Amino acid sequence: MKVKQVSAILNPPAPHMVGDGFRVHNFFPSGYKLNMSPFYMLDYNAKIEFSARNEPRGVGVHPHRGFETVTIAYHGAVAHHDSAGNSGIIYPGDVQWMTAAKGILHKEYHEENFSKKGGLFQMVQLWVNLPAQFKMSTPKYQGVKQSDIKKYDLSENGGIIEVIAGNYKGAKGCISTFSPIEVYNVRVNEGAKTDFNFPANFNTAFIVIEGSIKVNGTSTAKTDQMVHFQNDGENIDLEALENSVVLVLSGEPINEPIASYGPFLMNTAEELQQAMTDYNEGKFGYLE
Amino acid sequence: MLDKFATYLKNRLAITEEQAVEAVSCLKIKTIKKGQILLNAGDLKSEAYFVNSGLLRYFSIDEKGKEHIIQFAPEDWMLSDRDTSVFNEPSAFYIDAIEDTEVVIVKKDFFPAIKNIVPEILELNILMLHNSIRFMQKRINMLLSASAEERYLNFIKLYPNLTLRVPQWMIASYLGVTPESLSRVRKDLANKHFR
Repeated sequence: MKVKQVSAILNPPAPHMVGDGFRVHNFFPSGYKLNMSPFYMLDYNAKIEFSARNEPRGVGVHPHRGFETVTIAYHGAVAHHDSAGNSGIIYPGDVQWMTAAKGILHKEYHEENFSKKGGLFQMVQLWVNLPAQFKMSTPKYQGVKQSDIKKYDLSENGGIIEVIAGNYKGAKGCISTFSPIEVYNVRVNEGAKTDFNFPANFNTAFIVIEGSIKVNGTSTAKTDQMVHFQNDGENIDLEALENSVVLVLSGEPINEPIASYGPFLMNTAEELQQAMTDYNEGKFGYLE
Repeated sequence: MLDKFATYLKNRLAITEEQAVEAVSCLKIKTIKKGQILLNAGDLKSEAYFVNSGLLRYFSIDEKGKEHIIQFAPEDWMLSDRDTSVFNEPSAFYIDAIEDTEVVIVKKDFFPAIKNIVPEILELNILMLHNSIRFMQKRINMLLSASAEERYLNFIKLYPNLTLRVPQWMIASYLGVTPESLSRVRKDLANKHFR
């Protein structure tokens, strides 16, 4: 087994606002031109203090088609509603995995009590592409509380690995995916070591949510940085230089054409046009 | 970036790439940030705008301070206020940017000035004028006779992606309906089509 080499340690690109509730650094595809398929987009809301406000900040009703949106909370709380009738609140450690597929409308706001009190806010939002054959499947919603996420205990009180999707050394994530995907929250204590094994062709990255780490014995990365890997090997070693939280992403690339416009991610320009027409004509449903 | 306007001209006139590039070479580009005003009521500017990227809106403000949107101009649209651009009178309208926008400034003397390079340009100008009148005729008819739903369906045909780029209240303003009526129209359409 060969080592999966680090290709780059990346600083967070300049932030921008999504609505008025999310101040995000887009690591890809705008920030860095990385091939991270099946992950199409990663918006990282680094830690930020929001002031108290009665009217919750957030993003109003908008559509999606052709992919999945995944929200992972670290600080703060987000409320979600969609046109399929799903709603929920994501607290720190929770994960919301929404399969937009053939079309959904949703809105995301700071949860009411969090908004009223204000406080520290930190989140990740990922767009996970769907293989062509599933792009027009029925929308689906998977909300998982942190307490229900499958955990793998590292030896000698080294910490835990929360397996959101995929399988880490026999611990299986409860989120079902449409292509092979590994997503973990690694909560590792200072000095502890762990390792990962992903097929060489899997596109892989770590985002250091908290702390600092050493990867493959040589590369170090600190809070808010992304570690991007080459597709040359399978094994990755991780050592925590302090108590750290690391989001691990790895997935089999979907080698299909991409056509994207705004909130739609399809395979052809015609499909994008159809998505626009269907959205305009109410085929995604309705949400106040 | 003048090549988009050159392409715009080339696609509408029987001219070569070189002629199109030469024709636009004297024009200037301007960038406007989201929210910035390009034309104020009372301004005297003898110019029209070709939108390279972004989105402009052309609107009036009534005595009560309410905005009325006459036209949106996304990429590849030309926009001008005739009072000021043709008749040298102060504009009664406003133009601002809904998104960060880049425009080509087309001065009043552009078309006569380049007729030596591109004689057909005056014909194009007349055709564009007729097209603009046709657009306004349809728009007046819509506002006088069509239901809110018919106006919305016409809007999404004319501007297919603006529902993603423009807030609901601006679309309602353009359609001459209340935001509540527009919500009702979209809800009714969803009830008809969502399955």
